[in-house]
Amino acid sequence: MQRVLYRVRRFFSKPYNVILVAMCVVLAYLTLLPMLSMIRDTVTVHVAETMRLKKPVGSFTWEHWRKVLFDASSLSIFYRPLWNSLVTSLGSCLFALAFGGFFAWLVTRTNMRWKRSLSALFIFPYIMPSWTIALAWYNVFKNTVVGGVPGFFTAVTGLETPNWFAYGAFPIALVTGIHYSPFAYIMIGGILRNMDANLEEAAMMLHASQGRIMRKITIPMVLPAILSTFLLVFSSAMSSFAVPQFLGLPVRYQVLTTQLFRTLNGLNPGQGYCIAMVMILLGVAILAFNQRLTGVRKNYTTITGKSSNISLINLRGLRTPLSVIVLVAVVAVSVLPLVSFAFESILLVPGDYSLHNLTLQFWIGTAEQNSIANSEPGLLRNSSLWFALWNSIRLSVVCSLSAGILGFLAGYAIVRGRGTRLATVVDNLAFFPYLMPSMAFGAIYLSMFSTRNGIIPSLYGTFFLLVLIGTVKYMPFASRSGINAMMQLSTQIEEAGEIIGIGWFKRMRRLVIPIQKASFLSGFLLPFISCMRELSLFVLLVTPNNRVLTTLLFYYNEKGWSQYSNGINLLIVLIVLLINWAVNKATGASIDKGIGG
Amino acid sequence: MPNIELRHLTKKFANFTAVDDLSITIEDGDFITLLGPSGCGKTTTLRQIAGLETPTSGEILIDGKVMFSSTQLVDVPPSQRGVGFLFQNYALWPHMTVWQNIAFGLENLKWPKDKIDARVKELLALLRIEEFPDRYPAELSGGQQQRVAIARTLATNPRILLMDEPLSNLDAKLRMEMRAELKRLHHETGATFVYVTHDQLEAMTLATKICLLKNGMLQQYAPPLEVYARPANTFVADFVGSPSINLVDAVVNSVDGKKVALKMDGYEASMEMREAFKNVEKGKAKIGIRPEYIALGEEGVPAKVLSSLPSGMETIVHLELHARLNLTCVVFGQKDYAVGEELRVSFPTSHCMLFDADGRMCGLGKLTFC
Repeated sequence: MQRVLYRVRRFFSKPYNVILVAMCVVLAYLTLLPMLSMIRDTVTVHVAETMRLKKPVGSFTWEHWRKVLFDASSLSIFYRPLWNSLVTSLGSCLFALAFGGFFAWLVTRTNMRWKRSLSALFIFPYIMPSWTIALAWYNVFKNTVVGGVPGFFTAVTGLETPNWFAYGAFPIALVTGIHYSPFAYIMIGGILRNMDANLEEAAMMLHASQGRIMRKITIPMVLPAILSTFLLVFSSAMSSFAVPQFLGLPVRYQVLTTQLFRTLNGLNPGQGYCIAMVMILLGVAILAFNQRLTGVRKNYTTITGKSSNISLINLRGLRTPLSVIVLVAVVAVSVLPLVSFAFESILLVPGDYSLHNLTLQFWIGTAEQNSIANSEPGLLRNSSLWFALWNSIRLSVVCSLSAGILGFLAGYAIVRGRGTRLATVVDNLAFFPYLMPSMAFGAIYLSMFSTRNGIIPSLYGTFFLLVLIGTVKYMPFASRSGINAMMQLSTQIEEAGEIIGIGWFKRMRRLVIPIQKASFLSGFLLPFISCMRELSLFVLLVTPNNRVLTTLLFYYNEKGWSQYSNGINLLIVLIVLLINWAVNKATGASIDKGIGG
Repeated sequence: MPNIELRHLTKKFANFTAVDDLSITIEDGDFITLLGPSGCGKTTTLRQIAGLETPTSGEILIDGKVMFSSTQLVDVPPSQRGVGFLFQNYALWPHMTVWQNIAFGLENLKWPKDKIDARVKELLALLRIEEFPDRYPAELSGGQQQRVAIARTLATNPRILLMDEPLSNLDAKLRMEMRAELKRLHHETGATFVYVTHDQLEAMTLATKICLLKNGMLQQYAPPLEVYARPANTFVADFVGSPSINLVDAVVNSVDGKKVALKMDGYEASMEMREAFKNVEKGKAKIGIRPEYIALGEEGVPAKVLSSLPSGMETIVHLELHARLNLTCVVFGQKDYAVGEELRVSFPTSHCMLFDADGRMCGLGKLTFC
C-alpha cells in the first residue's frame, strides 16, 4: 500500500504527468464522449422522427443507416453527395498542388521578381474565410438562369455565364483549390527551402541535366511532402461547408457537408449523424494513411541542410513576363474579392453596376432610409452588427487564449512524456477534434449540452458553449505547434533550471515560454483567425442572443440582402488581415514564416 | 568521509538494462570519469546521481544521506541534492545574457543583489570571460559558451559537479585547453567531479579514478595508470590506449611455476610471469602487448613493415610477422621505415598481459619467442 502511494506520488511529482492525466480526463469527456453519443444517435429515434418512424424517442432503430446506405433514396441522400464531395475535393486538391507547388518552386528556386510581396499576398486566400472567394465568384459570375439579378461579368459584357461555370462542381473545386493553394505553398515551399542543395549539386557534378535533376532528385525528395499535402487538403476540402453552400445551392448541387446541414437542421437528424460518421471514418482513414506515409519516409522529408547557397534558376527573358503573370493571378485571388465586396455593398439595386446606382446607405443609412431591406439600419449604425462584431472578437480572443494555452501545455506534456502510453492517448485525443466535421461536432454539442447533464447545467444559447466548442475544435492547431516547438527544445534547457531549484511554474514562465515565444504566439494566431472566420462550427449553436459575425452574414445571405452580407464579409476579412498583420509586426509570428522570398 | 555511494544501482528501460547492478564509492574531492562506448549507461548513471532520472532499483547516498532508495521509498528532487550539472550541449538559456544566465540560480535562492553581483564577477574572472557579461549565448564561440555553462553551474557553489561529455562539441585545440582548465577548477574548488566521456584520452588525463562501463556493467574502477597497465579484461585493455593494444590469440600448453608455455599462431613462445598469477589453465588464452613495449632492431623474430606512420614525436609501425599475425608498434623519436622493409621484433619488458579464455586478466610477464 505504502509502495503504491509512493509510486503515485512520484508519478505526480512530474508536472507533465499531472497535465497528461488532467488532459486525458477532460478531453475524453469533450471529444470521446461526443463521439460515442454520436454513434448512439445513428441508431436511435429522434424527436423530429417519431411521427415517421412510429417509435418513441430514444428507441433503437437501424432505419437511419438503411435509409442512408441501402434504400432507393440513398442515391440522392448519400451516394451522390459523397461522389460530389470526392470529385470537388480531388479537383481542388489538384488545383491547390499545381498552383501552390508551382508558386513555391518559383519563390524558392528561381529569380522571379517581387518574391517578398508576392509571398505575402499569396497567403491572403488562406487567411481569409474560405467562402470569401466563393462569394466573390458568385458576385462576379452569377447568371440570371436560376433567377435573380446578373453578376458583374454578365452586366458588363452582356454574356450570360453557363450554369456549369457559375455554380456547382467547377467553381467549388476551383474556389476551394484557391483557398488551399497557400497551404500547399507553405508545405512544399518549406521542404524545397530546407532541402539540402548539395543533393542537387551532387547530381549536377555528375553531369545530370536540369530536367533530369528535377525528375530524379527534386521531385522524388519532395514527393512525400506533396502526398501529405494532398491528403491534408483533400480532407479539409471534404469538410468545407460554406463554399458548396454558396456555389452549389443555386443549382441544388449537394455535397456531404451541405447534405449534413440539411438533414441535421431538418427532419432527419439520424441520417445526418450517419453521414457525419462516414465523414469521420474517411477523415481517420486519410490521416492514418498520411501518418503511415510520413512515418515511413520521414527520414528524407525532414532532411535539412545549409540551403543558403542554392543557385537560383535564371528565368532570363521570361523573368519579367512570368513575374507579371504571377502578380496578376495573385492579385486576382487576393485583392479582387475585397474590391468586389466593397463594390457590391454600395449598390442601391443589386445587379446594376452603373455609377448612379452607388450608395453608402447600407453602411451609414438610418432605419427609415433603408425601407427596402426591411428597415434594417446601415451596417455602421446597426446594433446587431456591433453586437455580433463584439461577440466574434470576444469569442475569438477567449477561444484562442484557451486553445493556445491548453494546446501548448498539451504539446509540452506530450513531448516530455513521450513514449508513455498516456502521452500517446492524449496526443490522439487532442488531435481528434480535427477529424470531426465542424458541423457534426456542433450538432453533437447541441444534443449533449442542450439539457442538464449531471452536474453540468444546460449550456444551449450561452457564450460559454461557443467558447467550449471553439477551444476543443482549435486545440489541434495549438497542440501541433506546441509539440513541434517542444521537440526542438532540448530537455536539458529545462533540467538546467530544475537542478538549481527552479520550480515548474517559474521554469515555464522564465525559460520555456520566453524561448518559444514565436511558436507560442503562432499557437494563438491560428485559432484566432480560424475562429473569426468560422461558420459551420457555430451555425447550429448560436441563438439570436449570441450571434457572431459569420452567422449574421449567413443570415443576411439567406435573406438575400447582398449589400449587407458583402459588407460584413469585407469587415471580417479586413479584421482578420489586420490582426494577422499586427501580430506579425509585433511578434514576428506568422503563418508563412520562413518561406517568403 | 565517502561523498557519493552507489549501491546496486539498476536502471531498466522498456526492454533493455541501461545500468546493471552498479556499486561504487566516490571519495570526497575525487575526479571520477565514467568511461565507456556509447550506450554503455554512463550518462544514465550520471543523471541518476543528479536525480534527473529515476533508478529502477538500488540506492544512492550523498554525504551519507540517502538520496534515492527503492526499498526505503526515498527520492530527493534534483535541486535538493546539492549537485551541479554541466550538460553536453551547455543548455544555456538563449534569451538571457551571460550575466543573467549565471545570476539566475542565485536570484532564485534570493541572494541579495550586491552578493549576486560579487559572485558573478568572481566567476567571470575565474573562467576568464570578464569581457562578455552582456552578450547572448548565440554571440559566443563554443569554448566561451562552455565557460559560461561552467560558471553557471559553479555559481551556487555545489560540492559535487556532474559533467556530461562537456567537451565533446569543441574542436581539438580548445578541448586540450579546457581539459587543463577543468583540472585547474577541480583543484581550486576542491569539489568532487564526476565526468562522463567516451574519449579514453580525456578519461586518462583528467581522472583520479576511472569507472569503465560496458553494457551497463562495471568493468573496472581504478586510477587511470592502473587501468592502463593492469586492465581487468580484454575489453578494458582494448578500450584504453591509443594506438590500441595488440591482442593475440594463443594456446597455453603447460604451466610450470611462473613460466607459461604458449603457442601463438605458429610460433612457440613462453611467458615468465612477474608475480603470482591467477587461474591459468591449459587451452585458449589471449596475449596483450601494448604497442610501445615492442622493440624493433637486430634481435628477435623477423617481421615485415606493412605501413609506417611518422608523426614527429613517434612513429606507428604496422608489422607482419606471419600471414595471420600482425602487430602494431610505436617507436619514439623521428624515425621512418620503408614499406616491405625486413626487421626483427622482440618484447624486452615484463609488461605483456596474459588473459584467460573469457578475457579476464591473469597476470603480467615477459614474453619470449622460442
